Amino acid sequence: MTVMAPYRSTVEPEARDGFGRLLLAEWTKLRTVPRWMLTLLASVVLMVLVALLSAAGSESTGQGGGSSDPARLQKIDLGHYTYQPLAGDGEIIARVTAQRGGGAWAKAGLMIRGSVERATPYAALMVTPGHGVRLQTGYENGGAGGGTAKAPRWLKLTRSGTAVTGYESPDGRAWQRVGSVRLDKLPENAMAGMFVAVPDEVEVQRQFGGESVSGNPADTGARFDQVSVSPAQPGAAWRDRGAPGGPAADPGVDGRTGSDGTFTLKGTGDIGPNEFADDSTKTTLTGVLIGQAAIVALAVLMVTAEYRRGMLRTTLAASPRRGRLLAAKAIVAGLAALAAGLVASFGSMLLAAPMQRSNGLEPPPLMDGTVLRAVLGTAALLAVIAVFSVAVAVIVRRSAPAITIVLLLLLVPQIIATGLPLSVARWLDRLTPAAGFAIQETVTRFDQAIVPWAGFGVLCAYALAALAAAYWLLRRRDA
Amino acid sequence: MTAVCALRAEWTKLRTLPSTWWMLAAIAGLTLAVGAAVTGSVDTSHCSTPAGCMEDTPKLALSGVQLGQVAAVVLGVLAVGGEYAAGTIGATLAAIPRRSTVLAAKAAVVAAVVAVAGTAGVLASLAVARGLLPGNGFTSANGYPPLSLADGPTARAAFGTVLYLVLVALLALGVGTAVREQAAAITAVLALLWIVPIITRLIASAKWEDRLDKIAPMPAGLAVQATRGLERLPIGPWNGLGVLAAYAAVALLAGGALFTLRDP
Amino acid sequence: MEATIEVRALRKTYGPTVAVDDLSFTVAPGQVTGFVGPNGAGKSTTMRMIMGLDRPDGGSALIGGKPYRSLRAPLCRIGAMLDASAVHPARRARDHLRWLAQANGLPARRVDEVIDLAGLASAAGRRAGGFSLGMRQRLGIAAALLGDPPVLMFDEPVNGLDPEGITWIRALLRSLAAEGRAVLMSSHLMSELEGGADHLVVIGRGRLIADTAVGELLKAASGDRVELRTAQRQDAMAVLARAGATVSASGPDEVTVAGLTAERVIAALNGAGVGFTGISEHRATLEEAYMELTRDAVEFQGVAGREAR
Repeated sequence: MTVMAPYRSTVEPEARDGFGRLLLAEWTKLRTVPRWMLTLLASVVLMVLVALLSAAGSESTGQGGGSSDPARLQKIDLGHYTYQPLAGDGEIIARVTAQRGGGAWAKAGLMIRGSVERATPYAALMVTPGHGVRLQTGYENGGAGGGTAKAPRWLKLTRSGTAVTGYESPDGRAWQRVGSVRLDKLPENAMAGMFVAVPDEVEVQRQFGGESVSGNPADTGARFDQVSVSPAQPGAAWRDRGAPGGPAADPGVDGRTGSDGTFTLKGTGDIGPNEFADDSTKTTLTGVLIGQAAIVALAVLMVTAEYRRGMLRTTLAASPRRGRLLAAKAIVAGLAALAAGLVASFGSMLLAAPMQRSNGLEPPPLMDGTVLRAVLGTAALLAVIAVFSVAVAVIVRRSAPAITIVLLLLLVPQIIATGLPLSVARWLDRLTPAAGFAIQETVTRFDQAIVPWAGFGVLCAYALAALAAAYWLLRRRDA
Repeated sequence: MTAVCALRAEWTKLRTLPSTWWMLAAIAGLTLAVGAAVTGSVDTSHCSTPAGCMEDTPKLALSGVQLGQVAAVVLGVLAVGGEYAAGTIGATLAAIPRRSTVLAAKAAVVAAVVAVAGTAGVLASLAVARGLLPGNGFTSANGYPPLSLADGPTARAAFGTVLYLVLVALLALGVGTAVREQAAAITAVLALLWIVPIITRLIASAKWEDRLDKIAPMPAGLAVQATRGLERLPIGPWNGLGVLAAYAAVALLAGGALFTLRDP
Repeated sequence: MEATIEVRALRKTYGPTVAVDDLSFTVAPGQVTGFVGPNGAGKSTTMRMIMGLDRPDGGSALIGGKPYRSLRAPLCRIGAMLDASAVHPARRARDHLRWLAQANGLPARRVDEVIDLAGLASAAGRRAGGFSLGMRQRLGIAAALLGDPPVLMFDEPVNGLDPEGITWIRALLRSLAAEGRAVLMSSHLMSELEGGADHLVVIGRGRLIADTAVGELLKAASGDRVELRTAQRQDAMAVLARAGATVSASGPDEVTVAGLTAERVIAALNGAGVGFTGISEHRATLEEAYMELTRDAVEFQGVAGREAR
């Protein structure tokens, strides 16, 4: 036998074996199966349809009247506030001698703010029966501080430029700094005073296998003495901002009495997020619950179709490094879902807006940071769901069980939760991949199970764990 | 004669697949596990009085079927979709050329095994709930007699739940025959079952919720589990199950028609 | 770097079953090597291990000196068709080749080149689901040729094809080998390799039975037997037996002679005056040679079907 010169591939010098090429190949695979592209389209259409459906069914509930900024509807700024003008830098000191009613989160203390108009910036230092002395600003939950201090307590709130700093003391001599907040645009002529506020009592009622939650207004009261505002404004009178509703306000629960430097304030309602606000952004975007089914099916099929027809062998022949292959598949599935999600979520918001307006509702402002987070987060949510589906499909290798498992993990906690007591439902929404849907929340509601980013993190953790398992199995298993 | 042969053949086919046994175990297991978890987590603390809860304890005990039905769906789809995936449908039709006979035999066998697994899950759920409920305040003194099949409505709920599972499996079989692709069929059936419970969460209109609950397979079908407050239901127990039965019948007929008209 | 497939002491077990057992052979460039064995002998398993799809339990399989999983742009090193039906039915043939080319960064023109090479030009725009077996086979071969690789491997490429298709594949493989490529082609039927392969690797029950050139195998199987046709059978047999040959009657007027060359048979018969109408050297077919080789191992038939795993 004659020995020939070994054959050299004529195209090898042109071949570029890069990760980018692998991504392109996976994208071509996805693009060239028509029914997969239709599935992607179906997910978008389903989501937008649900948004339109919910917008058509939405009605102005009356309490907001549709007139004011919807972002403000999600904040409540109630309670009773007794104040004096405060010109320039200065401070207010008072002692809370007693606090009565309203539970662990009843608030009594001092407040500096630029305007008494509702839902405007403020800084408040307060004592609570169950959560110590706290400095609170804005309309998110919480506030800084804590401890076990209770009334009677000395409080001091000082203003210096835009900075407001709070101090507390047991005796009015040894002051302890609680914290400091910055109130941008605080006008030169601000207000300083005392306030009481109390969150609504959340009442859970169980009947006929369902739970209804209602917020009943609670009332609270507190006594203040040793009040001093400096620089003192000679002749300045104390003024009041009480419950809205004017003449109907019940003096038994809202008002101020007192003399000789002693004040007794009574009030109802809280300052902070409105825990019963409608989350219209989330409602508009809830179509993702249905649209995700198409995304899950697509991402699973991208993997299982190869297993079923033995095409995975062809794929692995072209790209034998399996970790890179898994990464390429996950990225392509994720990006396709992200693109569909972006189209669907922006489309939902934009198309639903005119219908919401015609129903007397102000649509959520798209450029608001929180709303934008929910809208972009919905697309990101679909992307992570797609990655999770790819990983589960690699683990399971068959379409039917893979789709069932992923959909069950995402959907069932949310649906079963409706029949369960609130406390149990919250744990389901925290611990299952369904926690990821928290990224759509723009209102901190009473039934919030997990904060948006943490919930998204839970879903990401599931996706990463599944990817790791898929990687390990893919490397270890024969194809 | 052919019918008997077809039945025997389908039974052997179903019996010899490990996935069948997994799904049957899942029907009973999920129904029991979820039912026990739900029953164990509900107590009377959020009610004005324990009697004021008006808790529908048999329905609570059987709520695990909401998850158990998923296994019934997968089983129903696999019974025919698995044949298309594996290519054995050719051999099946070579042996029994009459499509309607094949589908009827499949339906009978699937219905029988799901009924057995469903009965096991339902009885176990009721037994476990009977043990759990008094500890959570649902005692006879508070107006919640121990669960018993001797009680008419409870027996109807239990029997109806088994029928519900069977009908869901038949619905899945019909859709699986029509669609052939397992992934598509499972997604479609799960969507059909769950879509209305999801949508009613979005629509804050009681009127629409009632309308949808009347015509949607899962909420209507599960009305058969109600033993209290029947006058408050959007649809009566047996009528509700009838709605689901209509869905299953339409799916089976459509599947059968396509099966007959189409080349395998 | 030599364009070869080297299999060294390869071993693979599935539970208690040994699928491939201490298998070693080399596929040399410039020729078509037939990879033969009954169903279940371990051919496909070996090929999957060569492709890095299955992990060997022992030994190694190298392509040009490297394991498959470490190859860069592997389609330019080895092209393989393991299963022609492994295409998504909803994807057009051209798109199937396109993604494959993209995965290794091959120039897009290669797609059109291999479509022409495989004679698929008229069907390239159709979805693979509607392809006949022959067309799928052509698509699989086109995919194997995408990277213009120096090593090619085909699992049962002519299985189920019509005679025209078989002739086409045979000619194609021959021409590919003539360009200096190493070509490995498996089959469970020796007859499919008749006239198609230069070299044979025969395995049975996962073990190597023979690794030999086709010519040598045929020579060994033919022995030095001579077929004689004569009207005087009794006389001829007597004469030849006296001359030291082993003689047996193989028909009413036919005699098989072993132990004497044809020249000496003719000389002996002429010397004794026994007439004959025809004489020929016996040529074994590959099938016979194969049967000879595997005679000890007929029980392979009993394990058929395992390969379908």
